Amino acid sequence: MTRQKKKLPLAGLLIFIMGISLAAQERFRKSPPVPDPLAQLKLPAIESVKLSNGLTVAVVTTRNRPVIALELVVQAGEVWSPEGLPGLAAFTAEMLGRGTLSLSAADIEERVESMGGSLTITTSPDVTRFSLHCLDEYLDAALEIMSRMILEPALATKEITALKRIQYYDILEKQRDPDFVGRRQLLRLLFRDHPYRNAFYNEDVIKNINRKDILAFYEKYYRPNNAALILTGNVSLTTASRRVSHHFNTWRTADIDRGSIPAPQPNGEARVCLVDVPLAKEATLVIGNVVFPLGDPDYFPFAVLNQALGGTPNSRLFMNLRESKGYAYFAFSRTEFFRYGGVFSVQARVVPSACQAAVQEILRELHTLTREKISTFEIEQAKSQLIGNFPLQVERPSQLADRVAEMVAYSLSAAHWERFYDSIMLIDAERVYQVALRYLERPPIVIIVGDRSRLAEFLDGFDKIEVYDARGNLQYTLTKGGEE
Amino acid sequence: MFIGGRRVLSILFLFVLVLSSIGFDEEEGLHFPLSRFKLRNGLEVVLSEDDSLPIVSVVVAYGAGSIYEEPGKTGLAYLLENMMFQGSVNIGPMQHISYIDKVGGVPNASTTEDIVYFYQTLPANQLALALWLESDRMRYLEINPAKVEEIKTSLVEEIRQRCSAEPYLESFWAFDRLLYPGFAHSHPVIGREEDIRRLSAEDVRDFYETFYVPNNAVLCIVGNINLDRTKELVEKYFGSIPPGKVLPLFLPPRPPEKKARAESFHQPLAASPAFHLGFRTAAPYTQDFYALTLLDYILLKGKTSRLYRKIITRENLAIYLSGGLEKRKDAAVLKIFAVTNNETMVEICQKAIFSELQKLRTGFVSDSELEKAKNLFRRDYFRRFSTTADKALFLAEMYFSPIGLDNAAAELKRYLRVTPFELNAVAGRYLIPENSVILNVRTR
Repeated sequence: MTRQKKKLPLAGLLIFIMGISLAAQERFRKSPPVPDPLAQLKLPAIESVKLSNGLTVAVVTTRNRPVIALELVVQAGEVWSPEGLPGLAAFTAEMLGRGTLSLSAADIEERVESMGGSLTITTSPDVTRFSLHCLDEYLDAALEIMSRMILEPALATKEITALKRIQYYDILEKQRDPDFVGRRQLLRLLFRDHPYRNAFYNEDVIKNINRKDILAFYEKYYRPNNAALILTGNVSLTTASRRVSHHFNTWRTADIDRGSIPAPQPNGEARVCLVDVPLAKEATLVIGNVVFPLGDPDYFPFAVLNQALGGTPNSRLFMNLRESKGYAYFAFSRTEFFRYGGVFSVQARVVPSACQAAVQEILRELHTLTREKISTFEIEQAKSQLIGNFPLQVERPSQLADRVAEMVAYSLSAAHWERFYDSIMLIDAERVYQVALRYLERPPIVIIVGDRSRLAEFLDGFDKIEVYDARGNLQYTLTKGGEE
Repeated sequence: MFIGGRRVLSILFLFVLVLSSIGFDEEEGLHFPLSRFKLRNGLEVVLSEDDSLPIVSVVVAYGAGSIYEEPGKTGLAYLLENMMFQGSVNIGPMQHISYIDKVGGVPNASTTEDIVYFYQTLPANQLALALWLESDRMRYLEINPAKVEEIKTSLVEEIRQRCSAEPYLESFWAFDRLLYPGFAHSHPVIGREEDIRRLSAEDVRDFYETFYVPNNAVLCIVGNINLDRTKELVEKYFGSIPPGKVLPLFLPPRPPEKKARAESFHQPLAASPAFHLGFRTAAPYTQDFYALTLLDYILLKGKTSRLYRKIITRENLAIYLSGGLEKRKDAAVLKIFAVTNNETMVEICQKAIFSELQKLRTGFVSDSELEKAKNLFRRDYFRRFSTTADKALFLAEMYFSPIGLDNAAAELKRYLRVTPFELNAVAGRYLIPENSVILNVRTR
């Protein structure tokens, strides 16, 4: 309270000044300030070395953070799950976290938490990642536990049964989420003729998995020459490679016969699909098509296109569908990239009665990009957002670890890292127009997720609609004439 | 740039009273430089340089959370957080977000029981933009009845949506009324629908003029900044904002009484029976509070915590368990919430929890278990410095805390020094049946 007392003598003066500033506010308040020159982007270097058994060790040295992130990336994603066994890659990965020859699942949990750590296992279409983050004084203990999980998994029958139950209910739970259901349906249909479809399964497939398959998958793909261990934290490459070598030197190399994976082909005919998620209040739209793979030079012009179209609330889709037409709660676009191909899609949550109008408006926005060049103003706006936002995406230690793991796993060039600013800076309206022509001319697949009974009356304008249940199974097809 | 008259004004506001640097102890693992100074109008400014990335975070925090609302006017603090995005004299409605978004930055805000935070991270060369935006709404927020009505409608809608999306939410509010020691601490930040409907533009203006003043705020800037240039900009944008009146006196809560209470609450939308169990504990930042924090980790944090293992993993007594130590300005409580399969399990589960708590009173936690708790605590503590925005938010919170910013560096040590004896003592002092508050949630 003494603090306020000290101020009292000023009070009279302040009232006087308040009078002045109310009458005439300072001129600089009237318009936004001019920015300073853009600062340099200095990102930590990614250094790497290959151990004699073929395991890649990469390090990004950061200081002032007492945590270390270990990311083991194995090229053992769902694309490698054998025909008829989608989900095997993810199941195998999870099993490695559920017990080794000497440690039970509970022991692993106990050890990880004892070092202030957390363990997450994720499987994507291309790779599986084991992320172990902990206090950095426990680097050795963390490497030890990781090496045991990877080198001597127990794959115990009891744990297989337990995991089946967990995954089954996990998928059921996710299938109540319209965003999950919409994305899965789109990718499943886009990749229907490609092994990537293995990554987009429902709960039915879990029961097909058995220990023999898990063991075979493990034996084949969990090899040092098929993996990279990335460390982010206060550690040097020399120390890291010595410690990693100590814990992983008994991991044996093997040739992996993969066969060849083609690039997925883009969708060529217009398709509209309704996925029934009972009780969903709104309609969720997911509209997209296949584009280029990760690491393709088109990445940068397409990033600018995506930003201008639907990267933020200032972009075309949001301004049109929400602010101007009032159809949508939100409307954005995004890209997801994999090794053999990527996917570009638009997501929107819309009022049921505006469902069809919203679909048409989105298709019209996509079409416009192939007819008219985006204005230089919009292009520069999108570029400054991408450049301004890039450092924010690698700020958190976990984000940095994510990004570096991706750089190493997919051997991305410096254009995606320390030269990111330049990569974006060089893009102009013409380059963006070229990628629009290349990737947006073909009709995308339209997915509408919502409560069928609630949406039905608003969909009669579509010539043909395929109707699926939430699990992704085709129920019937509606055409203008009737049901097929 | 300035004509004569303006220059006079800025001279009148010459300041830079205190400039100190707090060094964080190396062994405590967090060391970032700090400079502090105070403007004549009472605005506290905290700067911290971090040049690892070309970004800066700007946080303006006001001691203006829901705790300062009067009975019958709940929801006011949160309404004002929303109002702050609806435009000031030089910035149109929602333009704040738009300006930040256009340069690739990320804006945000949050209202807690005691503090409301406005924050943004953006490219470092756009620091002035954030200061321009924040100072305009501190100085010249435009409040009118139409905007107030519009926000009220959206808040009422938000309450309804949350209540239907989170079937146990109302029981959480009912439990707070039982557990916390008085109106100020026990009502929800989002407010009550009937109160919100009655709020007027006058109420909103009063709250703004009382609490959204430089002498009730802290400005924290963390990132790739030049100290001199930043000070100059802060002086330019915030120096001429007049201070507010003397802030109303906030009365501390009455000391918690030690008396067991058990009541029940009807929540027809909920799928399964559940219960809340809580204890009133020592105030935040006291010695007992540090020990209680570690007990919270031992009992509830992580899959290997005692209650999670017992209730969920081993004995399947509940299908969901959450909880922890919670602080609201000067009061703290330990809360546990569990959802069970049926009514019988409610009782069994509560017995199991009480028996675990008894073990803490009758025995000592092993060194290795305490070390695990401390490691998890350290991990979470360091996580609060993950980004420039995290750091700036931490600094703002510490500024408003009773221990103040100058003692922030010594905090971590206080947690890490807790001994098994202290754990045993606080378990016996607070986590006892005579001090428990229970709310059983019935679905029928």
